[in-house]
Amino acid sequence: MHKLGRGHRDKIQQFITITGASEKVALQALKASDWHLEGALDVFYSQPQIRSFTDTRHLEELYNRYKDPYSDMILADGITLLCNDLQVDPQDIVMLVVSWHMKAATMCEFSKQEFIGGLQAVGIDSLEKFRERITFMRSELKDEHKFREIYNFAFGWAKEKGQKSLALDTAIGMWQLLFAEKHWPLVDHWCQFLQARHNKAISRDTWSQLLEFARTIDPALSNYDAEGAWPYLIDEFVEYLYENGIIQKDDYSQKQ
Amino acid sequence: MSAPKKKTIQIEAFRHRVVADPKYAEKTWNILEHAIHEIYNHNASGLSFEELYRNAYNMVLHKFGEKLYSGLVATMTFHLKEICSSIEAAQGGLFLEELNRKWADHNKALQMIRDILMYMDRTFIPSAHKTPVHELGLNLWRDVVIHSSKIQTRLLDTLLELIQGERSGEVINRGLMRNITKMLMDLGSSVYQDDFEKQFLESSADFYRLESQEFIESCDCGEYLKKAERRLNEEIERVSHYLDAKSEAKITNVVEKELIESHMQRLVHMENSGLVNMIVGDKYEDLGRMYSLFRRVASGLVLIRDVMTSYIRETGKQLVTDLERLKDPVDFVQRLLDIKDKYDKIIGSAFSNDKTFQNALNSSFEYFINLNSRSPEYISLFVDDKLRKGLKGVSEEDVEIILDKVMMLFRYLQEKDVFEKYYKQHLAKRLLSGKTVSDDAERSLIVKLKTECGYQFTSKLEGMFTDMKTSEDTMQGFYANVGADLGDGPTLSVQVLTTGSWPTQPINTCNLPTEILSICEKFRNYYLGTHTGRRLTWQTNMGTADLKATFGKGQKHELNVSTYQMCVLMLFNNTDRLTYREIEQAAEIPASDLKRCLQSLACVKGKNVLRKEPMSKDIADSDAFFFNDKFTSKFFKVKIGTVVAQRESEPENQETRQRVEEDRKPQIEAAIVRIMKARRVLDHNNIVTEVTKQLQSRFLPNPVVIKKRIESLIEREFLERDKGDRKLYRYLA
Repeated sequence: MHKLGRGHRDKIQQFITITGASEKVALQALKASDWHLEGALDVFYSQPQIRSFTDTRHLEELYNRYKDPYSDMILADGITLLCNDLQVDPQDIVMLVVSWHMKAATMCEFSKQEFIGGLQAVGIDSLEKFRERITFMRSELKDEHKFREIYNFAFGWAKEKGQKSLALDTAIGMWQLLFAEKHWPLVDHWCQFLQARHNKAISRDTWSQLLEFARTIDPALSNYDAEGAWPYLIDEFVEYLYENGIIQKDDYSQKQ
Repeated sequence: MSAPKKKTIQIEAFRHRVVADPKYAEKTWNILEHAIHEIYNHNASGLSFEELYRNAYNMVLHKFGEKLYSGLVATMTFHLKEICSSIEAAQGGLFLEELNRKWADHNKALQMIRDILMYMDRTFIPSAHKTPVHELGLNLWRDVVIHSSKIQTRLLDTLLELIQGERSGEVINRGLMRNITKMLMDLGSSVYQDDFEKQFLESSADFYRLESQEFIESCDCGEYLKKAERRLNEEIERVSHYLDAKSEAKITNVVEKELIESHMQRLVHMENSGLVNMIVGDKYEDLGRMYSLFRRVASGLVLIRDVMTSYIRETGKQLVTDLERLKDPVDFVQRLLDIKDKYDKIIGSAFSNDKTFQNALNSSFEYFINLNSRSPEYISLFVDDKLRKGLKGVSEEDVEIILDKVMMLFRYLQEKDVFEKYYKQHLAKRLLSGKTVSDDAERSLIVKLKTECGYQFTSKLEGMFTDMKTSEDTMQGFYANVGADLGDGPTLSVQVLTTGSWPTQPINTCNLPTEILSICEKFRNYYLGTHTGRRLTWQTNMGTADLKATFGKGQKHELNVSTYQMCVLMLFNNTDRLTYREIEQAAEIPASDLKRCLQSLACVKGKNVLRKEPMSKDIADSDAFFFNDKFTSKFFKVKIGTVVAQRESEPENQETRQRVEEDRKPQIEAAIVRIMKARRVLDHNNIVTEVTKQLQSRFLPNPVVIKKRIESLIEREFLERDKGDRKLYRYLA
């Protein structure tokens, strides 16, 4: 590394910032593209994630640090400790992204496979690397495509094991968290509506369709189509908005 | 040797000695001209046809055809001009007669002339492309006489005047008219049209326009229609008598337009005499007249039909929303049937069974019957009433007629599944209380329902009948087997009901009196002995009992009561006085049922076998009951039971509605799955349409409910949304 000129080092730095890959990977990619940054980025993105060599032993050590004394899993205490080490609030949405990367089955616990396997897949084998990666992970939420995956993942992750639907309170909490990232003006009304009128668990279909609704329908409901095969709960929500005067029906001024 | 000289005979054409007399043509023409004069002067008898013919023939032969022809034209024209003046000179009424006479003369003359000039007609005229003689004669008549300035207008005016006179009631010479119009037709249909018909139609239109205005101001609808019909018939008659047949359609159009079409709206909506008034008053004759007149006009029948339809819908709507009327369901349904009868009769006798009217009637009924969500219940109550008592003594054919009418109402229902539910309930009550007038009638109706709705609809109902029959057999077996052991105890009659076929009943507690208990146990043992693996539960809320009671002065009566009432009454065998609490404890009947039961035993005049203190109508927990020693009744048998089918109270109605809604959910789901299995992929709106179509013979599904069922199926992984288009659903095998 020390043999590299200043310019090269900068490029490596930029590469890492953009892609979140490790130094080694950055070096490989830039070398392969003759130190053209754009070329290197192309190469990097067109290939499947380069599985960089991660130190499994080190990961095992990390796992053991956090694992619960009585069972072979990382539970709430371990997670709190992890968050402390990462200098991240346990309530921070980035933990959701982490869980997504790990393909965690349920919130507030990681199995050994999930923890080690997940970190390996993203090329993290130490706390420093993990810390570095946190910012990048946070930025992943801005990507439309990834956000949708994370959002849909959240349903399965947040619900109780063995349940088909997501408890209302949990759902509301998740929505508020998620839509703080991706701003949806109607999220508060939605939550109020649910508490006032629905009071039951949320089905998967409703969960995923809500994102579509938030993405495609404008907040003044000008392009909402009653024949649009939206789940009935969303139809009722629209009714609720009209009834309570929150949205005016056929408000032409808003359509402009 | 030399041959003899042959003399050749030559045949030469006969050379006719034609005298090339320059004056020949002139002389011959003069003869003919003279003849024509004579003919026109009615002096034809002195002429020799043969000679004249020969002369004409010769002229043509010698190439004087042109001269002959033009001479003919000139001569005829000359005569016609004379004729014209004489006609013009005719005064007043004689004008037509003169014209007619001269026309006849002309025709006769023309015929003779044509005969004489036949050779020319056949040879010269065609080759010279001239008008044949007869036609020429007609044309000349037309041009010289008819189209003469004085005659043309006068003729037209005279004709129109006469027609107008006839319309006002005068008698005219129809024969003369016929001749004149025939003349015009002979001259060419364009002459008839231009010189008469066009004007005739126009002035008729003006006339009828005024007349219709007069009529409409002064007559009511019925009278107006009579007048219109009369005028129409008149015109048709007129044409047949003295106008050309082709005028009929045209003049009737005029009458139809002026008398009918222009005033259609006003007539139909006329207050106190218009269509609605006629319908209300069953005025078949007037209605029939209106129908046959309006039929002639475009959109005339549509108008009648629309007004009738909206009236039916209005009155129907009023009927089904009239709360007072709805208190008596049997009367309500009877009124529906009466209305249908009324309109059937109107359509049959006045509207010649017009199918479009029938359809309009049907759609109106369908519309308003379904405005009231309790219609299915009421129709079932009506049937119940008929089958329990209404059909007593009615002949078989009449029974069929009534049942067919009921089926007709049934067909109008959108919510047939609701009807099924109530029908089952009411049928159960009828069967169990043994109160059906005719088994045949019951079965006949079931068959009709099966034909209409399929086996599924009636299979449970038939199950109920089967149970009744089987129970009879069971009872026989029971008594045959166990009868000897029973001694003097009460007689038992049990109906064993298969749970799935009968309406679901809540199972209530009830303490049966000991006498009853023992025989019930014997029955249970007998039954379970012959049918292993079954469970029997006594439905104490549905039974009846006959009690022999002796009152204070020794009067004996037979009391027909419900099982609950029997339990209560039997308690009084041991004591004369019981409080409500004590009864409740002893009998263990649920409170609301018990209270109703006590009310019917103590608070109803004529049926008060119990006495209550205090005498209030309501049952309070602290009330006391006494056996009423002083009970009297005219009848030996006193009926106190209350198991009759009745109109549901509001809360009961809500409950039934809810059960119906619950039952519908699986049906909707089954339909969705069927459809998706076949189509594999389908969008939301199409699913809704298909489901509605599949279920429409039972009920009209609510699109919101369909949507919820789809979501439930997605939850249970029967379906999924398409990844690309969120409006599409896929079937998951």
